[in-house]
Amino acid sequence: MTTSEIISSLEKLEAQFAAAIAPLGDEQAIRAAQAQYLGKSGHVSELMKELRTLPAADKPVVGAAANKVKQTIEQLVAQALDALANAVAKADLSRRIDVTLPASPVGGGHLHLLTQVRLEAVQIFAELGFVVAEGPQIETDWHNFEALGIPKHHPARDMQDTFFIADEILLRSHTSPVQVRTMQTQQPPIRIVAPGHVYRRDDDPTHSPMFTQLEGLAVDTDISFGDLKGTLLHFVKRFFKRDLGLRLRPSYFQFTEPSAEVDMQCTFCGGPGCRLCKQTGWLEIGGSGMVDPVVFEHVGIDPERYTGFAFGMGLERMAMLRHAVNDIKYYYEGDIRFLEQF
Amino acid sequence: MRVLWSWLVELCDLDRQPTPAEGAAALTRAGIEIEGIEDLGKGFAGVVVAEVVAKRPHPSADKLTLVDVITERGGSATQVVCGASNVPAPGRKVLWAQIGAHLPGGITLAAKPVKGIVSPGMLCAEDELGLSQDHAGIVVLAESDPTPLGAPAQQALGLNDHVLEVSPPANRGDVLGHLGVARELCAMLGGRVVMPDADLSAFGGAAGPHDVDIAIDSPDACARYVGGVVAGVRVRPSPARIAQRLRAVGVRAISSLVDVTNYVMFELGQPLHAFDADTIKSAIRVGFAGDGDRFQTLDGITRMLGGNDLLIKDGGTPIALAGVMGGAATEVTDRTTRVLLESACFQALLVRRTAKRLNLPSEASLRFGRGVDPELAGFAWRRAAALMCRIGRDAGDSPSVANSPRDAYPGKRAIAAIHVRLSRVQRITGVALDAAACTNALERLGCAVQASGDALAVTPPSARADLTREVDMIEEVIRVHGYEHVPSTLPALREAPGVADADRADAARRALAAAGASEAITYGFQSAERAGALGLPGTDRRSQPIAIKNPMSGEQAVMRTSLLPNLGAAIARNQSHGRPDVCIFEVGSVFLRRGEGMTERPMHELADEPVWAAGVLAGKRPGRIGDGPAWDVFDAKALALEAIRAVAGPLDVRTLVAAVPYLHPGVAGALEIDGDDGRSIVGWFGELHPGVRARLGITGAAFAFEVALDALPLAPPAAMHAIAKYPGSDRDVSLLLAEEIPAARVQQVIADSNEPLVAGVRLLEDYRDAKLGAGNKSMLWSIAYRSPERTLTVAEVDHAHETIVRHLVEQLPAQQR
Repeated sequence: MTTSEIISSLEKLEAQFAAAIAPLGDEQAIRAAQAQYLGKSGHVSELMKELRTLPAADKPVVGAAANKVKQTIEQLVAQALDALANAVAKADLSRRIDVTLPASPVGGGHLHLLTQVRLEAVQIFAELGFVVAEGPQIETDWHNFEALGIPKHHPARDMQDTFFIADEILLRSHTSPVQVRTMQTQQPPIRIVAPGHVYRRDDDPTHSPMFTQLEGLAVDTDISFGDLKGTLLHFVKRFFKRDLGLRLRPSYFQFTEPSAEVDMQCTFCGGPGCRLCKQTGWLEIGGSGMVDPVVFEHVGIDPERYTGFAFGMGLERMAMLRHAVNDIKYYYEGDIRFLEQF
Repeated sequence: MRVLWSWLVELCDLDRQPTPAEGAAALTRAGIEIEGIEDLGKGFAGVVVAEVVAKRPHPSADKLTLVDVITERGGSATQVVCGASNVPAPGRKVLWAQIGAHLPGGITLAAKPVKGIVSPGMLCAEDELGLSQDHAGIVVLAESDPTPLGAPAQQALGLNDHVLEVSPPANRGDVLGHLGVARELCAMLGGRVVMPDADLSAFGGAAGPHDVDIAIDSPDACARYVGGVVAGVRVRPSPARIAQRLRAVGVRAISSLVDVTNYVMFELGQPLHAFDADTIKSAIRVGFAGDGDRFQTLDGITRMLGGNDLLIKDGGTPIALAGVMGGAATEVTDRTTRVLLESACFQALLVRRTAKRLNLPSEASLRFGRGVDPELAGFAWRRAAALMCRIGRDAGDSPSVANSPRDAYPGKRAIAAIHVRLSRVQRITGVALDAAACTNALERLGCAVQASGDALAVTPPSARADLTREVDMIEEVIRVHGYEHVPSTLPALREAPGVADADRADAARRALAAAGASEAITYGFQSAERAGALGLPGTDRRSQPIAIKNPMSGEQAVMRTSLLPNLGAAIARNQSHGRPDVCIFEVGSVFLRRGEGMTERPMHELADEPVWAAGVLAGKRPGRIGDGPAWDVFDAKALALEAIRAVAGPLDVRTLVAAVPYLHPGVAGALEIDGDDGRSIVGWFGELHPGVRARLGITGAAFAFEVALDALPLAPPAAMHAIAKYPGSDRDVSLLLAEEIPAARVQQVIADSNEPLVAGVRLLEDYRDAKLGAGNKSMLWSIAYRSPERTLTVAEVDHAHETIVRHLVEQLPAQQR
């Protein structure tokens, strides 16, 4: 081939390649076409094999022409790949999904409302330095009653109130035996909260034969009735997340003196009186008082050296007041329609 | 207890008369719970006192009367049609519900014709005013009734008044009468109690005919017995005031003699008993019954007595169950003219026990059961005797009574002064109260107080048997001072002792909820039938549940020994409520007898109460569109592993094929860990056995797991593993092996090869196919090889992998595919 023929062929290759890749729609085909022209045995290389037959003077001219063709082809490849990438990106952005379709089911598990309430209550008391204490649900008569100053003939012990297992063994009727067990094994200072199941022979919309109490106990050299009031006030405000008033009302419990019922401002009406608070503006949430010296004597703590307060409240009631649960039985039926609400 | 406001304030001398609401608030501050305030007169309105001035028959109805009434002296008469047969003669007063009057039941009166004659309202019977069921005739006021004409009927009926529903604390027997409530009200408001009239001087008679001898066998059982005869009386209707007051506190007036004993009991809190004195043959004796004695109480029932029942005897014959109920033979009747009046102080515990054993609760036994003031018995006797005499005299009888009754008082005690340190008052209450403030508070309650240095010597009133210790007095001081005046403080922060184990249960709860299960809390007890649903063999400790002696129902027969029956029953319940797709768990205690289970052996010790986590899964997982895939045994396994991991951290848990009585024989596994004492099984999972399902009422397959949380080691804080610096290589091995060789066995062989380069093992495929031959399966495992020190060569990886494959082929055995 003559020099001019070779140059002309090279120029034709340029046009041919442009035509060849124009319809190609993917990177692999474009790269294959590029190899067909620029590869080791591609069309350009084949033509360049003719180079050695040409006069030396023409070689640089043909070489330059070949380089130009290579560059052009590489440019065309780059342009084609660019266009292709743009097209892919554009196509991707044109995708449409109905995002109003339902969400994927993730999790789906719920902690029981009473667990949530208990964890929260324990956390609030933890802020004041109280730690959790526990005790058995099947208790001795001594821990549940005697040690708390409730003698054998007291009406609170009547068979209609307490579930008995044997003469001296029963289902604890309150969490107060945990106080006794703690004080038997630990000298003051003591700051405990004891949440747990308790059992009483009661069954109606506000009483369940098993329910959950949270007991608190603080014993130290300088615990006063004012500390009891402040601790309960702190709890009520944090738990209900509202600035609710607290009222301690004189009452009688065998194991505390002075004793007090704990009332808080009605969560529903806030004070003026409504059906929930029986027009009083107050809701009873628990019992409390200063630890009776009799209890200290039973557990070997010197009542002259130490004073203490104790309180107990029902977590079902706290949850009822905060979450409008209207029948205590819902807590214990394992009904998924209840469990999944909280 | 119902407390009538007018009666209460009659016993109080207060500077300013409080309203019932103010009184209720003061009593509430005192710790006397007020459960409600009832306005007695609010049942009707627009009914007035009117005087009959003329009456004549209705022209067209035999049973109707036309009555002319006036509501002011000299006013014009109005004609009212009346259907009652007891329309009184002119001059007597009746109750006229005028047009527009509101009556109970939402009735509003309008003028309407009765047999052709328009009646502007009506004359009322008791039932029409909601006073009683009585419709025998219209209310006719007593001739002497002082209520002015035109006044509201409430005034004539004693209904211009309120009742406080009072619920005193259990230790305040002294508040079970108007007098006790008056003491509290006066203490809180700063006033003085006024004792009612008990003057007998007008009725004093000779001692002889009015006397009765009294002997007390056991002074512990009866501290005091006051008794004497009120003679010359007769049973009469009680005066309106007494009847109205009794009705207001919830007792029907019967006859003057019995009504007076009730009246004084409600007034003073001291129960009294009236015997017909003519039925008493010898002397009063207070003593115990003999075992097996019989006694007919005044309700006509013959009671079997025991040696702990205290009796009032006539010589040797029982005439009353002390403090509980009188006897039929000595009951006051229409013929009674001489009353033997008893005012005594019986031991609280004895009365409570007898009343409870015989199921005879009464107003009297309630009060004796809480303890009465022995010092009050004499006054109460005179008060009741005076009322009986006055009623008799006003009715024209000639009553007489001994100037002072016989008074056996073997239990008289001097009340000791209590030492109250002012420093102690401050330490317990948190309020600095000086001697004057403390003295004032205690004196208001009727205590005698003497200051001595930094302390007070306090003598409580006899009514307050509950005040025996320094701390009792401190409570009284702060109660009168007002709990509301105690400032709120917080206890000092103190170093806490070690952390409680409760974290174990809550860690499991949180992990299980995060894994998609919902927490249930179920009762600690269950029916025997449900407890037996697991079909456990008698050798299993859990087959011997702890029984409850006094369940309220069969649902509370025994304590649970496993969490699964209640959870399974909850699944069935959800299915029956249209919720078949449920995954629930519970973390809680089960209750096991200590030692080998023997149900007949009485329990003398506590139970073991290990904490378990358990769950039951049934139906399908939630899906995004439509249902998700069904829950299966591997979901149960995953939850069990989550609970273990939450407590014990990422330790090795091996799965063993297991036989568990309540799980399907072919779909059950045990989870084993290496504990401090060697290998131990810490849980099970599987498909619930079809028999268990049927017993619990579950439809379709259900899967379960349970983990003994107490058996798990507590995870130490996790230490970080180095992140691999060098790449690893994966090699797969495809095995053809017998179907019954479990996956765990393959893992075990790989682990036992002890190839140090193995960094992980994953199962990629597990399938059965006819082409593999019957009883065969194919498994594709991927093993990751890695060194923490360098990039491995192909030869190293190949060598390690070939060794493992050889072990698998030889030991399983298996063929490499």
